[in-house]
Amino acid sequence: MAVQAERRPLGDSAKAWALNAPAMIVIALLVAYPIAYSFWVSLQRDNLKRPRAKQFIGFDNYQALLSDQAFLSALKVSALFVLVVLGLTVVLALILALVLNERFRGRGLLLSLALLPWAMPGVVNGLMWRTIFDAKTGALNGLLTQLGLIAEYQAWLTSGTGAFLFTALAQVWNTLPFSVIILLAGLSTIPSELYDAATVDRAGAVQRFVQVTLPWLLHPLLIVLILETMNAFRAFDTIYVLTGGGPGDATTTIALLDVQTVLTFTDVGLGSAYAWVITAITLLISVGYIGLLYRKGNFEV
Amino acid sequence: MELNRRQILKYAGLGLALPAASPLLSACSNDKSAGSGDGSVKFEGWDYEAALVQQNLDNFTKTSTIKVNYTPITSAQYVQKVVAEFTGGGGPDALYVYDDSLAGWVEGDYLQPLDGMAGVDEVYAAIYPGNASAMTYQGKRYGLPYYTDSNCLTYNADILAKAGITKPPASLEELEAQAVKIKNAGLLKYPIGVPAQLSDTWWSWVWALVFGSGGNMFDDQQAPIMNTTDTVVKDVFAWLQQAANKSKVIDPACLQLLPVPIDNAMKANRYAYTIGARYASRDYNDATKSKAAGKIRMALIPSLDGQVHGTVSNTRLYALAKDTEVKDNAFKLLTYLGGLDANKQPYTAKFWFLQRGLGFAYRSMATDPEITASLKKFADPAIYAHLGEIAKPRNVLGMPWYTEFETEMHKVVQGVLSNQTQPSAAVASLAQSAATLKKKYS
Repeated sequence: MAVQAERRPLGDSAKAWALNAPAMIVIALLVAYPIAYSFWVSLQRDNLKRPRAKQFIGFDNYQALLSDQAFLSALKVSALFVLVVLGLTVVLALILALVLNERFRGRGLLLSLALLPWAMPGVVNGLMWRTIFDAKTGALNGLLTQLGLIAEYQAWLTSGTGAFLFTALAQVWNTLPFSVIILLAGLSTIPSELYDAATVDRAGAVQRFVQVTLPWLLHPLLIVLILETMNAFRAFDTIYVLTGGGPGDATTTIALLDVQTVLTFTDVGLGSAYAWVITAITLLISVGYIGLLYRKGNFEV
Repeated sequence: MELNRRQILKYAGLGLALPAASPLLSACSNDKSAGSGDGSVKFEGWDYEAALVQQNLDNFTKTSTIKVNYTPITSAQYVQKVVAEFTGGGGPDALYVYDDSLAGWVEGDYLQPLDGMAGVDEVYAAIYPGNASAMTYQGKRYGLPYYTDSNCLTYNADILAKAGITKPPASLEELEAQAVKIKNAGLLKYPIGVPAQLSDTWWSWVWALVFGSGGNMFDDQQAPIMNTTDTVVKDVFAWLQQAANKSKVIDPACLQLLPVPIDNAMKANRYAYTIGARYASRDYNDATKSKAAGKIRMALIPSLDGQVHGTVSNTRLYALAKDTEVKDNAFKLLTYLGGLDANKQPYTAKFWFLQRGLGFAYRSMATDPEITASLKKFADPAIYAHLGEIAKPRNVLGMPWYTEFETEMHKVVQGVLSNQTQPSAAVASLAQSAATLKKKYS
């Protein structure tokens, strides 16, 4: 008892540090260190095929990107891909969330089915859509032929535009459920009294949506926009399996180019610079979203 | 010592954690001799027929008493994983190497030359020059042959016969004419199929068509000539464009087809012609796997003039790690796998041909009665051997920028096939890419 009495109890702050220290060490080792190291690598000329040529070159890798045609083309494709995927995702997710927010028979089943694509890994998603879009035995060709909409089987992924749009569609299918969940959670917090009051004020369905639903959904929409922009910008596996980036450069996004640069060309220096550019761009877009939307939402979700 | 509840819990926790942590720590270790110290050889390869590889290695261990720790690695990630291992300092002692990885891995200090080691000169004298060249980098020999293959024109003799065609085409013009005949007879809408979806693997058929007409993309100093002194590439591209877009005998779906779907289409009688590796004919003619069994034949690659013939080869080799601590044992393993046995016979090369039809680098095997008897089941031994003789490797394999050039070429050829790029623009673009890459790596 005497020994215990001599011990000074730890302060709250020290206890908090002590309790969080293991997790912080793990995070520092597994997250912070690799991120910092990748930035360090991006400042080097470092191709694993030529270890003797490795040298510190400062920001030369970043500077070279300004005249790197492959990078500029991939950036353009990525930007377009983000626009198409994000546009489709937000519109479809909003519609689905509004439908699933209603009470009807079979809602639970529909909700479960709607979530299914989210559980599917990107590679499996890509393989599934490759089978569907197959030029010889694809389900899409079979369906459209049976409906009489096309006379013969088509090779959907052989034109640049076709490959781009079908790849975007496959990406949307994979990531849509997550957006639906976020928006559904937002919808469930809107007090029903607000709709009742709007109805008493003779507001129509469109007015109720614009005046009540949308303002309450601004914060969930913000989350959807940020996360789906990141997802679309980093999209790799589905595109890789479906088209490999082709035809030509039609579906070579910046993430695909990055993986190719690091793993196929083993140019880890330039590849790390690509990765940091992707990070910087998504960060800028996210800050832009927050600036535009955060202050407009009046309610916590 | 008196134990209280806290101490008991502490020691129990340590006791549980140690066994769990040990394998983790061991896995993090780069010490290749860890846990062995008995001269065993750490051997890695891509995962083709891993059970057969193990069976063959067991035979080696039985006869030599050298233990081999074999790790098959998924072929899709083989290069990346081996590079990661060597970069981390824990690579294997002996390993498979792709010919197009050799230069990079030598430059990366992963491999050591075999010059001067017992039996190496003998092996290099016994193999086809193309294979010897593919395993040599900057005048030094780095490997013993695992297997090799060269490209050929593969055709379905039954479909040709139905169209009234009695012999395979010698020229590209003839190939197109025959395909048009098959198309007009209503047998197939698109008689020719080639894998033209972007992927990490090389497009052997493009190189085969260029070499088949006696052309090349690069001169001996690896300078691009496809846009200057060598017109073959442009003419081959022009033929491809015409066959895909004018006579429409090349399937437009090829742009979304990888090699396996092309193989499946050949086996289902859905293409009359393809250009690919010789060993595929074994699979195409296997009645348990193919509806086209017995109908598939191989021929020389058709050329622009129908007179010149050539083709491209690839070589897979066994190599020795530079920092191996069991060099003698690892080299004995290499000799068993890729060299000659006590009877001066390429034991393992023969094993692979008889088991799976893998192409061989050894000239003597082309006349081995056991080999030719087996070969006759799926190919004409004379054509097979002739292809081996005339095949040559890509002369840019030693360039650090080769992989990037190959990737760029795929995109350009896709443009040609889809009529987006004219042949002259395609070769100009390839020459420009090669020049840019050379500058980047200079």
